Amino acid sequence: MRISANWLRSLTQIDVPVDELAERLTRAGVEVEAVERVGEGLDRIVVGAVKSCRPHPERDKLVIVEVDDGTATRTVVCGAPNVPRPPGRVALALEGARVPRRGLPGVVGDLVVARRRFAGIESDGMICSEAELGIGPDAEGILVLDDGAGKPPTQDPSLAPGQPLAQALHLVDHILVLGLTPNRGDCLGHTGVAREVSALFGRPWVPPEPSAPQRADVRRIDEVVSVAVEDAERCPRYAAAAVVSLTIAPSPFWLRYRLFTLGIRPISNVVDVTNLVLLEFGQPLHAFDLDRLAGPRIVVRRARPAETMQTLDGIGRQLTDDDLLICDAQGPVAIAGVMGGAGSEIGPSTKRVLIECAHFEPRGILRTARRLGLHTDSSHRFERGVDPNGVPLALAHAASLMTWLGEGAALPGLIDVYPRPIAPRTLRLRPGRLSKVLGSPVDSTQAASILERLGCTVASRGDDLDVTVPTSRSDISREIDLVEEVARVRGYEAIPTRYPSIRTGPPTPRAYPFRQRARHTLAALGLDEAVSYSFVSPRDLEAFRLPPVALPLSNPLSEERSVMRTSLLPGLCRAVARARRVREERVRLFEVGRVFLGWEKPGAATPAREKLWAALVMAGPRDAYLERAAEVDFFDAKGLAIELCRDLTGVAPSIRLCSEVDRLPWLHPRSACVIEAAQKVVGRVGELHPDVIESLDLGGPVAVVEADLDALRTVRGERRFAPLPRFPAVSRDVALLVDESVRAADITRVVGASSGELLESIELFDVYRGEQIPPGKKSLALSIRYRAADRTLTDAEVDSLHATVLGGLVDDLGGQPR
Amino acid sequence: MGLIDEIGERLDALVRDLESSLQGARSDDDVRARAARIVGKKGELTALEKRIREVPPEDRRELGRRINEAKARADRIVEARLAALRAEARRRELEGPALDVTLPGRPRRIGSLHPVRQCEEELLDALQALGFEVADGPEIETTAFNFWKLGFAPDHPATCMQDSFYLRDDVLLRTHTSPIQVREMLSHPPPVRIAAPGTVYRRDDDVTHSPMFHQIEGLLVDEDVTFADMKGILTLFVRRVFGPDTPVRLRPSYFPFTEPSGEIDIGCLICSGRKVGCRVCKGTGWLEVGGCGMVHPVVFENVGYDPERFSGFAFGMGVDRIAMLRFGIGDIRLLYENDVRFLRQF
Repeated sequence: MRISANWLRSLTQIDVPVDELAERLTRAGVEVEAVERVGEGLDRIVVGAVKSCRPHPERDKLVIVEVDDGTATRTVVCGAPNVPRPPGRVALALEGARVPRRGLPGVVGDLVVARRRFAGIESDGMICSEAELGIGPDAEGILVLDDGAGKPPTQDPSLAPGQPLAQALHLVDHILVLGLTPNRGDCLGHTGVAREVSALFGRPWVPPEPSAPQRADVRRIDEVVSVAVEDAERCPRYAAAAVVSLTIAPSPFWLRYRLFTLGIRPISNVVDVTNLVLLEFGQPLHAFDLDRLAGPRIVVRRARPAETMQTLDGIGRQLTDDDLLICDAQGPVAIAGVMGGAGSEIGPSTKRVLIECAHFEPRGILRTARRLGLHTDSSHRFERGVDPNGVPLALAHAASLMTWLGEGAALPGLIDVYPRPIAPRTLRLRPGRLSKVLGSPVDSTQAASILERLGCTVASRGDDLDVTVPTSRSDISREIDLVEEVARVRGYEAIPTRYPSIRTGPPTPRAYPFRQRARHTLAALGLDEAVSYSFVSPRDLEAFRLPPVALPLSNPLSEERSVMRTSLLPGLCRAVARARRVREERVRLFEVGRVFLGWEKPGAATPAREKLWAALVMAGPRDAYLERAAEVDFFDAKGLAIELCRDLTGVAPSIRLCSEVDRLPWLHPRSACVIEAAQKVVGRVGELHPDVIESLDLGGPVAVVEADLDALRTVRGERRFAPLPRFPAVSRDVALLVDESVRAADITRVVGASSGELLESIELFDVYRGEQIPPGKKSLALSIRYRAADRTLTDAEVDSLHATVLGGLVDDLGGQPR
Repeated sequence: MGLIDEIGERLDALVRDLESSLQGARSDDDVRARAARIVGKKGELTALEKRIREVPPEDRRELGRRINEAKARADRIVEARLAALRAEARRRELEGPALDVTLPGRPRRIGSLHPVRQCEEELLDALQALGFEVADGPEIETTAFNFWKLGFAPDHPATCMQDSFYLRDDVLLRTHTSPIQVREMLSHPPPVRIAAPGTVYRRDDDVTHSPMFHQIEGLLVDEDVTFADMKGILTLFVRRVFGPDTPVRLRPSYFPFTEPSGEIDIGCLICSGRKVGCRVCKGTGWLEVGGCGMVHPVVFENVGYDPERFSGFAFGMGVDRIAMLRFGIGDIRLLYENDVRFLRQF
């Protein structure tokens, strides 16, 4: 909402520096987001009086104007078609003036006025348009000054030639840009803000009085037009006035300028008046061309199913039976409280105007405006609550202004359909409550005085106050609302600061520390944390051959982000693809976040099944030093998977090839594994399937781990201290030729079986294939450590044990020692 | 001169020979080879030892002593020479050329934590230190928890301001972390003191709005909790997070689920209140970092707490904005693109 400081000042008679005003409003919850200065910087631009105007001898489109600048007459060459007859007043920029040209599209920077020749005639100055001066939208012709009612000035001393233009037209103003919270519909008009300012500065508030419109004594309004409200719930009040015999014309400059600086485009006197009243009282009005209303008759009713109408923006609107319409005898002429129709719009030839001033139920207006995607100045205000009892004042004001500016006459009488008047609410305020909420005693007289300044009527009821709240403040409906009004007008700085001691309750198990630990472990393992959108494209899930259990959004921003993810991998792989595109080879990423696995049963604690997972992806070369390293593979991921699980649970997990390959279709079948801990499946590890890599353009192998953190959290590995060994260990190395089919786990099993509890560890330190090794075989080098807990093993003992172990490897696995 | 003296002189000569011979030795092996020629199994000194039988028995003891002494001297000479060679080698090694220390170190990289999550942690650490426990709730929420129980009215502009992603008529992606308040109060009797971090969603997408972002919310409910207590806790919280001298101010505002409500402003972190020309605080000297307020009685009614007996306050902050301020990130979309060049910087 844009608020003119000049207008505010004339309404309140409070004259404080604008910065102080802005600060005070902001501290009371009416946030001033910015203060804009308008009408400044127009030095050396003065009122000029036209003395004569003649055609340019050589150029058709130019005229030569003699202008009185207050001290002398200057000759100015001008290209505008609308130079007024003498003694018309224009905006004359003298030599050296800077013309801001802000209103001109595509033009940047000031124009410095200098003497210049136009086809042989020297121009001493420039006659400007309002767009050139940045004080209006009109760039068609020059600005022609008027007497305030839209007529050429006669003897108006304020328009004496030579006066600075800014002073003569009262251009200098400050615009307060308010960022209003949705409860403060009352501040969507200048009178509402004026009342707020009066309360804040402790002055009484006097609402403006309308001047009586000029009457025509032809017929009363109710003889000319009838109004029927069929849905009084959605339209509690419908009032109308009529102005006849008027002339549509541009508004006087002051009105155009006021609308322009407040962000509304001036159109014509009648439409501009409705907008001015909107800005003054926050009450939306609508003007119909009475001669284009069938009947003339107004019917307020709900739309019929599948009814349509064309709004004045020229768009055909499909309506539903929840939309409220203003109709004439034939059909809809406006969508109530949102936008008028094209058929009854005010046009240049309009002579008779019906002014609608109504009160509509806010929620209905909001539903219609949202359904139609039509957010207008009118719907914005009705949604937030307009004062139903402000209708007569706004209507009278509008009628009065129209009769003046359109030189018309108002029909006597008023239509006001208001079957059940909305009365102000009375609320009880307990002063004890006030201090209990705020934490410090508040004087009851002070509270009463604040509420009275805000327009309330306050009566004492014992210690309590009975507060009657004006209908303009529909947001105040309970005692706590009164507490807030008192608190904010006093200012929050008046409330003391206290440091309470916090009482604790019994401890509750919380998921957060575990999630935290998972993230820190993954980062410690060298992975960078990513955070991806929780919604993905269905194509992403398809690319991973994930089962179609995704929860779709009803109103996604785009197809790309339209279903809830069921896996963290699509998001992470997008990051891999992105890294490839920018030629970043080494990618190590993880994410900890929710996946969404479908609806819960009705009655469950949450609507959907949400699980916390961690996932990591690795792509590009392994870490290496001064050499080109090989690409990461399954074993990089496996190492991380084990370390992650071990750190989180204290238990080393087991990793086994997934027997039902179809269950992990996004992984390469040669290494698609599940991670198990404490007999539970807690995750999976593998390399992405080559088809997935290809379809996502990942450009090379990607090793991945996914860990179900909810499951891991339930695995409780007791961390128990194991006594340190007191006797030395003995190592023996073995080189063994075995078939390719022999797996590392086979060796561990056989060695374990033949050495019993004396085996401490087996380390496989080389796997060799190639020269001197027959095809189908591989050479393994192992280091086996033996240790006894209760004695130092003798050489003889170890030799004999080791021979048994070797024998086992030979017998059970067909190995050949080398 | 007796035989014993003759052998004795010979021993001395051999030791002298050894000493001079070792001077020329340039390696350990060389030293050992030269020593072997004298004290080895086939060495000259060893050969002399065999002549002990030639001397009269009464001299043999003396000769044995002399031989042992010569061998000991020879050993010392060898050891000394070896030590000298080692010292020489060490000296040469120490005087050798420096490594190219400008080569990179062998990579040992710790990963990074996402800037938003880092800030989330910091905020939670501060709140935990003040006695708040971290709670959470679902991201797919019912309209009842997300809106109605919090006092939002259907078809009210406050509800529409939080333009939402819906999955069904009554189910949406939560638009704020406040439904966690409701869930916590419904499942726990007072006192309640929780910090609720979470991912939230609104239907916006531009330079300053992401359809997904993060909030942290605090809630404290007990008997006799007042606005003054809220000011105290918020002051402590803000100063823990942004520094001990950070100015804090509360400014009236509106949220459906708190009343009275406020915006939390802190002194601008960028210009420190110098204001002029600061683009971050737009010259006001203040940055808005969150909202707060006394829990609205309607919320207490909706969760079955007696609003006449219990009172409390709630406050919330946008974590993304704080992360952007802290790290100087201008475009919110960078946060969720997961560009590795971006992520590695944190």
